[in-house]
Amino acid sequence: MTEDVWWAVARSEEVTGDKPINIDIGDQPVVLWRDKDGFVRALEDRCPHRRAPLSLGCVLASGAIQCGYHGWTYDGESGRLVDIPNLKGEQKYPPIYRAVPFAVSEGGGFVRICLNAKAAAPVSPTTETLPLSGTENVSLSHEHLIAALFDDPALVIAIKGVHYTPYLMSELAEQNGKLVLERSCQWKSPHWPAPFSSDFPITLRIGTDPVTGETDLLLRDNAFNTLLSATVAPVPAARGVTQVRWRAKLGSTRPGLMAKMLGFGTPFRILPSVNGAALRTLKPSASIHAAALREEIRSHQAAAHNVAA
Amino acid sequence: MLDIKDTAPEQDFADPIAGDPRNFAAAVNNWVPHDIVLKDAWFPLAHSFAVVDKPARRSVYSQPFYLWRENGVAVAAEFHPNDTDPTDKSDFSDAAGRYPVLEHYGYVWCWFGNPANADPAHLPSIPYLPAEGNLPKHMLGTVRFDCTAPLSLENLIDLTHADFLHADVVGDEKMDKEVVEVFYDSETITMVRRCTNKSVAPIMKWFGGVKSDVQQVRQVIRIYLRSHAAIAYGRFSPGDNVQLFHPCVPETRDRTRLDYAMNTSNVKKSNLFRYLMPKASYKVSRQDSTMTSPQSPRYMNPETRKDLHSPLDEAGQKYRVLMTALAERQARGDFAYRDNVSADCSEIIGYDGK
Ligand code: FES
Ligand SMILES: [Fe+2]
Repeated sequence: MTEDVWWAVARSEEVTGDKPINIDIGDQPVVLWRDKDGFVRALEDRCPHRRAPLSLGCVLASGAIQCGYHGWTYDGESGRLVDIPNLKGEQKYPPIYRAVPFAVSEGGGFVRICLNAKAAAPVSPTTETLPLSGTENVSLSHEHLIAALFDDPALVIAIKGVHYTPYLMSELAEQNGKLVLERSCQWKSPHWPAPFSSDFPITLRIGTDPVTGETDLLLRDNAFNTLLSATVAPVPAARGVTQVRWRAKLGSTRPGLMAKMLGFGTPFRILPSVNGAALRTLKPSASIHAAALREEIRSHQAAAHNVAA
Repeated sequence: MLDIKDTAPEQDFADPIAGDPRNFAAAVNNWVPHDIVLKDAWFPLAHSFAVVDKPARRSVYSQPFYLWRENGVAVAAEFHPNDTDPTDKSDFSDAAGRYPVLEHYGYVWCWFGNPANADPAHLPSIPYLPAEGNLPKHMLGTVRFDCTAPLSLENLIDLTHADFLHADVVGDEKMDKEVVEVFYDSETITMVRRCTNKSVAPIMKWFGGVKSDVQQVRQVIRIYLRSHAAIAYGRFSPGDNVQLFHPCVPETRDRTRLDYAMNTSNVKKSNLFRYLMPKASYKVSRQDSTMTSPQSPRYMNPETRKDLHSPLDEAGQKYRVLMTALAERQARGDFAYRDNVSADCSEIIGYDGK
C-alpha cells in the first residue's frame, strides 16, 4: 500500500461534528470528524498518551478532538496537543506532543484521506455528489473483491433487475489510466438464455483505478441512455475486510418497464457477504489481465514522471 | 514460563526510581506489561463465600487452581479431584498437587510461586477489611477486564482518567486545585491525590445525601505489586468515605478478574449510598473496559514509539518502573521480599478506623 494513495474512506454525511468515527486503511486505524469550520480532520486513531482510540472521545466546540480517557485534546489539522485539562493554566507543549495527522480531501460526497500528510490533493476528485449512497463492510479482501467485480459482478453488486452475462463487449484494457471493461447484461425478465442471445439490451461499463480499486459504473441501454451511474470505493480495512462506500444516480431517461422499475425500491446494493461456493469456483477471466495491465500503467506513469522531471 | 529458579536472594538492589533518570525513562518507555509474570505472591482467588464443597476453578497466568472446602477448610489444588489422570504437575504445588492457601479478609488467597517461600508475612495489609471477612454479599462482587492486569492497575492509580471516563459517577475535572503525591517501596506503590473544591460525585449527590456543589477529596490508591491487588480509599467531605479493595488477578496475561469488596459499613444503614456504591463497580468497570480493552493489544509487543507523559502520570510511570524492577530481579533468581507488605498500612493510606 503506497503512502501517497488517496482512499475514499467515508461518505461526507458520515463525518459530523457530533461524534468522531473510526475507519481503517489496512492495519492503520484512523479517526475522522468535522471541525467547527466544516473541515474533515483525520488523525491516527491512537492517542499518543496511553494508546486509547481517539474515536472513543468527543469533538469540542473549538473543533479539536478530546481523548475520552484522560482528556488530552488535539488540533485536527496538525495533530498537535493543545490541552491537558487536568493541568490547570496555560501550557505550552513541545512539538513532539502530537497525534499523527493525515491529509484529507473532500469532494463528490466522498471523504478521501492520504496517509502522507504532505501529499498533494488528488488530481480529479469527483465534483458531482450522487444522491443515492451507502456503506458496506464486505468480508472479502480488497484484491479479491475487485477480481470478483471483473469476473462476475453478481457476487459483489446487485443492480435491480439486472442479470450479468459472461459476455463482454470489450475486454479489460487500459483507458486513461483506468482498467476498463464493458459487460453485456440482460433484464431479469423472460428472455433467451444468454448463450443463445444475438443481442443484449443493456451493458455495464466498469472503470477501475488500478491501485485503489475505486470504480465508476455505467449501466446503459442499447439506445445509449445512461440508466444508472455509480462510484464504488473499496478500502482495504482490518482483518481482510473491505469497507465499501458507494454513491449512485439514476439516469433521467429510462425507457422500458424494467428500466423504469429501477426507480422503485433499492436500485443499487453492495452485497455484505459473498457466496463462498460460487466465489471459489469462479473462473478467473478478466482479472487475469488485471495484474499485467496494472504493471503497464505503473511503468507508463513512471516514464511520464521521468519525462516531466 | 512457570519454572522456578531460586538462587542468591542477596544481590545488590538499587532503587530504580531514585537512580539515573535515563534508566527511569527507559523503563517507563520499554513497558510491555504482557511480558511481566511475577512469582511468589498471594493472590485473592475467590471470595470466601464462593469456595464450597464443590471445586471452583480459577487461574493465575493460566496455571489451574481448583478451590474447595474439606471439613470447612479451604484447599487449593492443581488438579480437579475428579481428574483421574493428572499429568505434568508443576513446581508450584506440593507432591500431592496442593497449593499453599490462606483465608483472610473474606478471601481465599493462594500462593503462586515456589511453595517453600509461602509465608503469611507476604499477605497484603488491607486495614478496612475485617480479618475474618463476613461482609454482607451486597458489598462483594466480580467484574472482569479484557486486558492485561497491569493495565487495569495503571488505570486505577492514575485518577485523572476518572474525571473523563467516570464523570457521570464520580464527578468531572472541575476543581480549584489538584495535588498528587507518590510513595513507594520495592513491593508497593501508594498514590495520594488531593482535590480542592471538586465537583461533587453525582452518585453522592443523588444517593449519598451530599447537598453542596463541591467537596474536598483525598483519594489513595495503594498497589501491592506482586499480588496485583490494590486498595482504593477515598475520603470525601462532605460525604462518606469509600473503602474499596480492588484485586486484579491475572487469570491469563491478557485477561483480568476482579473480585472486589466495597466495605460500606461506615455508611448509615438508612442511606442508599451504602447499597448502591458497591454496585457502581459494574458501571465503572465497563467504562474502564472501553479504554483498557483496546489498549491491551497495543501493549502486547514492544513499541518503537514512546508514550507521551504529563506531570500527572508520575504514579503510573513509577508503577511501571517498580514492576519492571521486580521482574528483572526475579529474572536474576531473586524472589525475596525486601519490604514488608503485611505491616498495617493505616497510617500510609490515612485510614483512621472510621
Ligand atoms: S490515552 Fe488519551 S488522554 Fe490518556
Ligand atoms: Fe477507572
